[in-house]
Amino acid sequence: MLFFWVIFFLGKVFDPYNQGQLSVVLMFFIGILSITFLTGLSGQISLGQGALMAVGGYACALGVLNFGFNYWQSIIFSVLASLVAGLILGITAARLTGPYLAGTTLVIALAIPSLANRFESVFGGDVGLSVDFGNPPQWLVNATGEIGFEQWQLFATLPFASVALFVALNLIKSRTGRSWRAVRDHEIAASLTGINVQRMKIFTFVVASGFAGLAGAMYGLRGIVGPSVYPISLSLSLLTGAVLGGLRSVEGAFIGSVIVVFLPDLIEKVTGNWQLAPQIGNFLPAMVSSLLLILTVVLNPAGVAGAIHHRRSRHK
Amino acid sequence: MDQLLSAIFAGTSRGAIYALVALGIVLVWRGAGVINFAQMGQAMFSTYVASNLIMHGTSYWVAFVVALIVGTVLGAAVDLLVMRPLSGKRSSAMMASPAMRGTIPVIASLGILGLLQSAAGMIWAAEERGFPTPVNSLGLSINGNVMPFTAFDIFVIGVVLFTLFVTTIFFQKTGMGLAMRASALNPEVARLSGIRTSSVRTLSWAISGAASSLAGLLVTPSANLSPNTLDLVLIIGFTATVIGGLDSLPGGVIGGFILGLVISFINVYDSPSDVFLAILAFLLLVLLVRPQGLLGSKEVRRV
Repeated sequence: MLFFWVIFFLGKVFDPYNQGQLSVVLMFFIGILSITFLTGLSGQISLGQGALMAVGGYACALGVLNFGFNYWQSIIFSVLASLVAGLILGITAARLTGPYLAGTTLVIALAIPSLANRFESVFGGDVGLSVDFGNPPQWLVNATGEIGFEQWQLFATLPFASVALFVALNLIKSRTGRSWRAVRDHEIAASLTGINVQRMKIFTFVVASGFAGLAGAMYGLRGIVGPSVYPISLSLSLLTGAVLGGLRSVEGAFIGSVIVVFLPDLIEKVTGNWQLAPQIGNFLPAMVSSLLLILTVVLNPAGVAGAIHHRRSRHK
Repeated sequence: MDQLLSAIFAGTSRGAIYALVALGIVLVWRGAGVINFAQMGQAMFSTYVASNLIMHGTSYWVAFVVALIVGTVLGAAVDLLVMRPLSGKRSSAMMASPAMRGTIPVIASLGILGLLQSAAGMIWAAEERGFPTPVNSLGLSINGNVMPFTAFDIFVIGVVLFTLFVTTIFFQKTGMGLAMRASALNPEVARLSGIRTSSVRTLSWAISGAASSLAGLLVTPSANLSPNTLDLVLIIGFTATVIGGLDSLPGGVIGGFILGLVISFINVYDSPSDVFLAILAFLLLVLLVRPQGLLGSKEVRRV
């Protein structure tokens, strides 16, 4: 609840550009949570979360355009669709470990967007399908005053992000969360305590893919659902955010999404007066985030949230 | 008939390159237990160096050798600067379980890939450029008949077969090759019998770097050079490795050739846009039937 109102308040005070960025933070937050579950908690790596976001995005766009759903109906539809996709993926992926899994998910990340070209009449090929959040409902405008486009994007994202946060916090604390950690730390020991490891892994994929699909649906509702919206680099920036923030906690996922979204802005602000050559300026954000990624992994693999947590527990 | 022959030849020459990429991946996997996603990033970097030399009038062969050296050095540097410090952290909470020990270095290598790509973008302005071939890349004509393959195809296949031959000799006949095989099989015992396992590990990174920069030099004439061009080559090469079995050198090589042919047939008889769907389908098929790959050894787990 606190989360909801803080973001809501920020949404009121930020300028339109940052309102838009903040809504992207929320979308990344949900997407990164799916990596927190998969990699941080249950120890399975996925380089294809961007593709699952694409599944959510396309489902949502088809819901709006073909079935005449409004935006929240089609978001729910897209979550259902990506749960199914996650089930299929999970059944194949649960048999694989480590590098085999990384490779397979990477190929999936490449193959799914090319489906859009294969069935061009349905998915709109390279151009994609254009959708948006629609207009804010009248009661909200009456309650808060004029709502800009970016602000509505943020307000429409916020309830879903709050629900995702709520579900995530409870999942981690629940029996399921404990089983995930058990599977991650020692598969055989976990199966000896009565956890069905295979089924647990599939379940993780289903949950993670539901989150990714939700994130993807809203990511697409910013304007266009197409292969260029969900490139392979999207999967990689999700992973970068997850690692930088901290793979193992919900706080980490949020910190990570803030870093990934605002880092380019920050760099531009700092270097804006230096008159860098455009080729350097264009690649600087990518370089800084890769450097941060390497340094985090080598020096502090638990990420920002992990470091904070560690310091706090030492002072106690 | 001609179509079939040209599909086979193009597939074999492409497959030879994927086999080389797979060789690099298997070497590092067996030597260090890491999948190096930065591998073709290193190759991209060394190919850019070669391309720059050629643009400034150096001959192809000098640039070729320089690129191989740069690739070797980059491979060793990745191990010394990132992977070795990382493996010193094996006892930390984050890497306590085998699952995470496999995952964290993969993430690090993705970071290295990003670093190399953005560095190349800064230095060479991310412009796409062509890359020359040492021999004619038009259809070869013998007795006035245009053959379904090019001199460059022959060159590629020849170079790769030679490399595979040298690598096999190295592993089977030399002391260093034996040391590398021993360290891959059982690091503990290898160390006890006096092998410096950490230098052996750096060596496998270096050889892998050389192999992949060779692959980069051979593949760029047909793909144009830009910071991201070799990503697809890596992914296909990696798929080849998984199909063949991650811990088997011959497996990776065979996987590379198979995949090269599959892709070439899809290109000729279907359409290039289906290539990745076909790769995915093929990969899943192999993994469902043999999760350890065609020639891979089954993982034995002890409690």
